[in-house]
Order: sequence, then structure tokens, then C-alpha cells
Amino acid sequence: MATSSASTRRAWPLPRFDWQAWRVWERNAAAWLKIYKTSVLLNFGEPFMNLLALGFGLGTYVTSLDNVPFAAYIGPGLLASTVMMGVTFDMAFSGFNRLHREGVYDAMITGPLSVEAIAGGEYLWECTRAVLYGSTFLLVLVAMGLVRSWLAIWILPLMILPGIIFTSPALVVATAAKLEDHLFYYFTLVITPMFMFSGIFFPVSNLPEIAQKVIWFTPLYHLVNVTRGLALGRLGPGFGADLLWLFVAALVALPWPVVALRRKLLDA
Amino acid sequence: MEERTPAAGPAAPPQAELAVSARGLTKRYGDFIAVRGIDFDVRRGECFGFLGPNGAGKSSTMRMLYGRTEVSGGRLTVLGLDAARDARKIKMRVGVVPQESNLDSELTVRENLEIFARFYGMTRAEARRRARRWLEFVGLEAVAAQRVEELSGGMQRRLVIARALLHEPELVVLDEPTTGLDPAARHAIWQKLQQLKESGVTLILTTHYMDEAHRLCDRLVVMDEGRILAEGPPGRLVEEHVGRDVVELPAAWWQAHGAGLPEGLVRRQLRIGQAVFLYTDDAPALLQRLGAAPEAPRYLARQTNLEDVFLALTGRDLDDGDELRLHAAGMATSAL
Repeated sequence: MATSSASTRRAWPLPRFDWQAWRVWERNAAAWLKIYKTSVLLNFGEPFMNLLALGFGLGTYVTSLDNVPFAAYIGPGLLASTVMMGVTFDMAFSGFNRLHREGVYDAMITGPLSVEAIAGGEYLWECTRAVLYGSTFLLVLVAMGLVRSWLAIWILPLMILPGIIFTSPALVVATAAKLEDHLFYYFTLVITPMFMFSGIFFPVSNLPEIAQKVIWFTPLYHLVNVTRGLALGRLGPGFGADLLWLFVAALVALPWPVVALRRKLLDA
Repeated sequence: MEERTPAAGPAAPPQAELAVSARGLTKRYGDFIAVRGIDFDVRRGECFGFLGPNGAGKSSTMRMLYGRTEVSGGRLTVLGLDAARDARKIKMRVGVVPQESNLDSELTVRENLEIFARFYGMTRAEARRRARRWLEFVGLEAVAAQRVEELSGGMQRRLVIARALLHEPELVVLDEPTTGLDPAARHAIWQKLQQLKESGVTLILTTHYMDEAHRLCDRLVVMDEGRILAEGPPGRLVEEHVGRDVVELPAAWWQAHGAGLPEGLVRRQLRIGQAVFLYTDDAPALLQRLGAAPEAPRYLARQTNLEDVFLALTGRDLDDGDELRLHAAGMATSAL
């Protein structure tokens, strides 16, 4: 049977970051430039409200945590969660529309692009956005006097890690979802709990041991540790481990969108 | 261009003159076999059609042609390249108009072309130049800055055609280019395809409209249930299978009085639902006989077309593949 060509022809499911991936990036940038004003407002409205209400509202009661003012404690954590949410929502909704509603991916692979380049392009684009979210939020934190160290500048390139880590499941979920509503299961059951319990608002060490063990497996927790460490200039003994955790997670995350898109686009 | 006389040549033409060659081409989806080992050759510069009802295997054949889905069996050569191995190279040289107009609704009309041109590796300046050129070709310059969803169905279709031409492909594959469009929009597209053909581009199209196939195709195959039933230039297919004229009659009358006609007057008869189709080479004589018959029936006499070929080959209607063509009965009895 000649069907074996399917397995022989396909290489490892790794995204490609070649010139074609940058063309996909370019397409996304062109689409984004039309709507960026509303998109930026949506992405930053909520975290800023959190920062103002919790940092300065609640902060008058909880005056300090870990020897820093409450707003300075939660600021870098909110930066991390803003990047997570921005990447997640954008990739989940865009991916769903491009795949199921509009046939954007379909047109791309009917044309000259490969699935690997499409996945690569989405990664490049979401990493770009992650760095953009991170830098905008960082500027606000600096303006509010909530950043304590020049090390904070390292936050910007490091946002590539959550860019990869959160793009991957969002695109896979978008591929698997049959209805747009299905995306909300992922938001509600995975993203929101991470937001609540990753040490943004209170140290995880206050939680029961079992909860701490579970939280160790979630990326936002490590990301918050890293951003807070850099923003406050406190690189404790766990810093390297957190960073390593994120690097490994990013590597593990990379192939899954290619697997999902191949299944959806090529085997149909 | 001269060797593409539509009349079938003696032997298979040499590979260099073929845009596509398929032998035993098969497509399986799990247990379902969509294309059952078909053979065909498409010559360079001709317009080659696949005519058949929905589910005949036309789209699956097209998707294998343009490297969108894997070949499950047999051999398929496109522009001298093996479709099983060189799908990526084939894509760079083939233009595709898929069945669904999968335009990018997040972009403007012009951006749809410019960005797609960039996918082929063109520089920005080149992409802009090509976008302008093909927008003009399909007559959409005036709406270049609009968003795709503001366009009518016919305009969207023309934009997809322009997108398929950006990289100046040698072969353009069109999967039902005019399905769902109104007559004016269909004519606009036919004109463009005619122009393309005259410029030497090889066209392969699928359709379930016999008028489209007849108008555009130099040669075509009739497909049904994953197989090719007949192949040839449209005029010759009609001539060979059903002759020039057909008379449609109520089946009941035919059963009662049909036996009295002389031998050879009816070349072939076909019962479809409540109607009988009599194919004849001598329509005046047949009509005279019918007029003189007792309780002369109401009938419809017309020229044969590719739909009759399909009916004759399958006993089924081309439009929807329904087993019985009930509307034909109504037509036959009320037409006079």
C-alpha cells in the first residue's frame, strides 16, 4: 500500500522558523495593525484595574508583603499573568478563527506554506506580542515606581518563554475545539486557576503542601518568581531552577501545534 | 499550441507535452474510497474538465493534484514532478482555486494578494506589482482597499482566482469555480478563464454544470462514484453516447403506445422516474410519428447535452445524484 508515504515523508513535528514563518508573522502583523488600539485596551484594561484596585486599594490594608509594598509585590506577577492572558486569548481565538471559520491556514497550505512554517510563524508572532505586553507593562510599573532593580530589563527577552509556553496549548485547544465556546473551558479550568494560585497576590508557601506540589507543575508560578525576582532585584537560590523549568517547558511545548495542525489540515 | 487539437490523438503524447498524467490514481479516507484507480492525461495548454455529481471524487482528485492531500495509490505526475514526493515543488508552480473561497477576512482585498505573494518569497515591491496586475485582470482595482466580506460572492471568487495567478503558474486547478454564483458573475469568470487559456495556461476544472464544461473544456472526463465513465471532447462525447436530439415523454404513454415505432428511429431510450427519454438521430421523423399516434402525448424535444451523456452513462441526474429525476416527469408533461 502506498499509504506509507504519509509516515515516511513527514519529519519530526517541529515548527520551522524559516523565511516562510516570518511571512506568516508579517500576515499577522498586518492584520493586527488594523485593530491594535482596541486590542491593547482590552489586554491592559483588566490588569491595570487589578493593579490599581488591589495594589493601592487593598494595599492600604496589606501594607507590605515580603518586605515590599503590596503594589510592588503584585506588580511583576501581574506583568507575568498579563503576558499569559494576552498570548492565550489571542492565540486561542485567532487560531480558532483562522482554522475553523476563515480557512486562513487552509489557504496557506494550499499555497506554498508548510504546516511547520505556519506553526513557526504563530510562535514568532505570539512571542513578539509577549515581549510587547511585557515591555508596556514594565514601563507602567517603572512609571509607578514599583520596579527596584535594573535587572528588570531582562524580563523583556525572557518573555519569549511564556510566548512559547502559552502559545502551544492555546493553539492545540483552538485546533481541537469544535465551537468557540469550547475555548472557555480552557480559560476557566486552566488559565483562571493559574492566575489565582501562582503566587501573584500571596506567597504560595501559605498554601497546603499538596497545593504547592500541584502549583510547581504550572508555568505561571515559575514565571511570576522570575519576573518578581528581576523586578525587585532579588535573585534567590530558586531563581535558576525557575528559569530552567521555563526553558524545559518551552522545549517540551514546541512540537504540539505542529502535531495538531497536521492532523487537522493534512489528514482531512 | 497547435498540437492541442481536441480530437484524441493516436497514442499517449510524450511526457513533455503533458501537464498531468495519472495512472491508477486512488484516494482513500480510512475505509472509504473516494477515487478508484483512475487514468487520465492533461496536455499542456488545454482546458481539461472533470464533470460529475457531488461525491464523484472530483475534489479529491483535485486535492491530490495540487498537493493538498496525499496520493493513496497509483501514480500521479504533475508538471513532470511526482505528486507523492514533490508536493512542495508542485505547489510553487500550480495555482489553486479551491471549492471554498478561503480568503483572509482580517485583511483588505489588496493585502490578500500582496501577502499571499509574499508567501511565495517575492520582495515587497514585486508583491505589490503582481497584486496590482492581477487585481486589474479580475477587475477589482476599485475595491482594493475594502475588506473581503464587503465583496459579493462573484467578486470574492474573482479575488481567489487572482490569488491563484500571483506566482504566474503554468497550471491552474479550479474546483467548482462558479458554483453558487448568479449567471452574470459566472459569465464574468468564464471570460477570465477563456483569457487565461488563450495565454497558454493549462486549466483543470471541476464542475457539475454541463454548460460550463461545454463552454470551457477542450476535453473532459465524466466521473461518478470515484471512476471515470467516459473521456473526450464535449461535442464528441454527446455525439457518441446520445446523438443529437432527445424527446422526453410521459412514461405511461410510452408503455401503452411505444411499441409501434419503426426499428432504428430511437437510438437509445432511458426511463427516468415518470419520464422516458428517447435519443434519436432523426428528430423530425420521430416527432411526426408521435403526432400521428393515438392520444398524441405531450412531449419536449430538445438538443442533447452533457447532462444526457451523464444520464445515459449512469441512469442518474447530474445535479444532485438523485436516483430518480422526478422533476423531469413534470417537465415532460407540461412543456407543450
